[in-house]
Amino acid sequence: MGMRGATLEAPPAQEPKAERGAYASHKRLVPYWLLTPGGAWLLLFLVFPLFILLYTSLESGGLLSGGFRFTWQFSNYQTVLQQYQKYFVRSLVYSIIVTIACLVLAYPMTYWIAFYGGRRKSSFLLLILLPFFVSFVIRTIQWKFLLGDSGMILGPLKNLGLLPRAFHVLATPFAVVAGITYNYLPFTALPLYVALERIDKRLVEAAKDLYSTRWQAFRHVVVPLSVPGMFAAFLLTFVPATGDYVNAAILGGPGTTMIGNIIQTKFLSENLYNQAAALSGILMAAMVVLVSIYARVLGTEEVVRAAAA
Amino acid sequence: MSEQDEGTFLDPARMQAVLKSRLTRRGFMKGAGTGAAAIGLGSLLAACGGGTSKGGSGKTGWDISKIYSGQAGDTINFANWPLYIDYAKDKNGTRYIPSLKKFKDETGITVNFAEVIQGNPDFFGKLQPQLAAGQDTGWDIIVITNGTQFTALVANDWVYPLDPAKHPNFDQYAAPWAKNPSYDPNNEHSMPWQSGLTGIGVNSKLVNGPITKMDDLANPDKVGKARVDMLTEDMPNFVMINLGIDPVTSGPAEWKEAAAWLLKQRDAGVIRAYTDQGYIDDMTAGNLSAFMAWSGDVLYYALWAGYDNLSFVFPEGGALHWNDNMMIPAHAANPVGAMELMDFYYRPDIATMVTEWVLYMSPVPKTQELILADAKKAEAQNYKGYANKLYQTAKSPYLYPSAEFLAKTSYGRNLTTDAERQEWDSIFLPISQGG
Repeated sequence: MGMRGATLEAPPAQEPKAERGAYASHKRLVPYWLLTPGGAWLLLFLVFPLFILLYTSLESGGLLSGGFRFTWQFSNYQTVLQQYQKYFVRSLVYSIIVTIACLVLAYPMTYWIAFYGGRRKSSFLLLILLPFFVSFVIRTIQWKFLLGDSGMILGPLKNLGLLPRAFHVLATPFAVVAGITYNYLPFTALPLYVALERIDKRLVEAAKDLYSTRWQAFRHVVVPLSVPGMFAAFLLTFVPATGDYVNAAILGGPGTTMIGNIIQTKFLSENLYNQAAALSGILMAAMVVLVSIYARVLGTEEVVRAAAA
Repeated sequence: MSEQDEGTFLDPARMQAVLKSRLTRRGFMKGAGTGAAAIGLGSLLAACGGGTSKGGSGKTGWDISKIYSGQAGDTINFANWPLYIDYAKDKNGTRYIPSLKKFKDETGITVNFAEVIQGNPDFFGKLQPQLAAGQDTGWDIIVITNGTQFTALVANDWVYPLDPAKHPNFDQYAAPWAKNPSYDPNNEHSMPWQSGLTGIGVNSKLVNGPITKMDDLANPDKVGKARVDMLTEDMPNFVMINLGIDPVTSGPAEWKEAAAWLLKQRDAGVIRAYTDQGYIDDMTAGNLSAFMAWSGDVLYYALWAGYDNLSFVFPEGGALHWNDNMMIPAHAANPVGAMELMDFYYRPDIATMVTEWVLYMSPVPKTQELILADAKKAEAQNYKGYANKLYQTAKSPYLYPSAEFLAKTSYGRNLTTDAERQEWDSIFLPISQGG
């Protein structure tokens, strides 16, 4: 915007030419200078690896026949999609459940903090973020101990005869979904909190003045105004949760393999780099498409317009 | 052993390192999810570099007389697994490797020992671009387990053939199983560094009755529901061996037979997980009743970590035998020195130094009597705990297996073409991936 303003403005006639030129070009370059560090970072660590990913996904060959060569092997995509469709679907299903569970868990919590947290808001928020201070993998491994067949929770219950001996939580889809939900809860809670916190509390009072019930005020004022937060929460939770492989690897069993685990196996055990890259490419494309659809349905622009109307 | 080495017999750091070696080498660092993320990009870049290699059978690419014509260079770069060699502390408390110091004293060659291998596929991934481009990888010796990556190195002519005239110690002292293994006829490209077995680990508190054979792993009455762990990579060969099939000569029909057993096992509802590693957490947490396991991991926990309810079982049908092999990557700068060092480790006194540390199966059987001698010496000096450990080491049937044991082991199927490998994967991967 700043740049455009500078170029479109008619130059004041009195100004000396040289000085004006230097000033304008300097001003014109400022946005680019500001973009440079982040831009270079993204170029190096996002665009370049993405290019390698796509390049690798179009290679053919094999480990035992001289490695892989670039041959525009588009059939890689078809092959892996056919073979691993099921795991994409499973990952999406898990991830949708996780996203909904995170929203359901985080909404009342953040709502309460935003509206009734008072002076302690920041402290409560910190409590939500506290798990972040411990490594993701360590936390997940702790779950394994916690939920072990004769661990802290199931052990005593079994000893009391409340649960059958063979009962187990680990290695079930529930364990995986619950683990991901736990790990991504803060990603949902933070954006939700930001959206709820920003809501002008007087709007709720106004709604009540206009004879709305508490529920109606919540339903027609608070919820619509928090939609942008829900959208951000969705993005931050749904996308990484779909690609997650740590929870399935640590808490899951044979029936809970997610697409992230397949990609990991392809890459690190089978050394089939081209297929691993193709799978990653498909996952990424699927995410972009799904998120775009979601954005159309619940897009932030429409939300803002609706809120203004 | 020198005076100062004996002084460190009971050094806690040393004991800790001894214990760690068992964890790290096979069980602990084999590419858990954490490490995998970090390795990912490297492998990805590596994958990009392929393409200029000539491929081929690996039989004709190199001329031994040319490779080994020169003199040994001044340095050898040796890539190995973490804590897989002997360590000691000098007077200043600095860690060093006694066997390599001895090598330096005798030959004047400096060895740069690097613990850089934490998994075969990812280490292979790092070397692949240079190998494919016909460049020196920077390593003179690498240690690779028999399996896909080993075969790929040989098939693509990415390792130098060894000079059979340059390993006299190997010829004299190597165990029969180390010579002419099925995956590398005549040791043309490799000599074993250390070795181990894949059998069954048992938690006596959680099983009903003794576990003696593979079929017990599919019997819910014996092992309970969802309590068995299988090792994804090892299980096809393990099952074939126990079904009485010789994996070495097996084909798709036999593979399907093994897959059928694995499916039967899965349908019996006993499986908790298929893993590449990480069964140790479940094992110690008491989540597993019986599980496929590497001899060293279970033995360590049973003998030295106080888990007396754990034991290692050599199944009636047999066990899988694996070797970690020294190889010389193509275009290595110092192949003559590398050969010399590899053979140096087949001298019984040197091999003993390593075995007393890493506690894996040594390719030099003569180490057994030398370890017993060291045990007596330690006992005489009143280092009772350490003496006992040495006795256990020397007497373990899993470190020094009998001929009868070994007759029931196999190195497994060597998959030599991509088509074979794909067929193998298409039969076995759906089992572990819940397909």
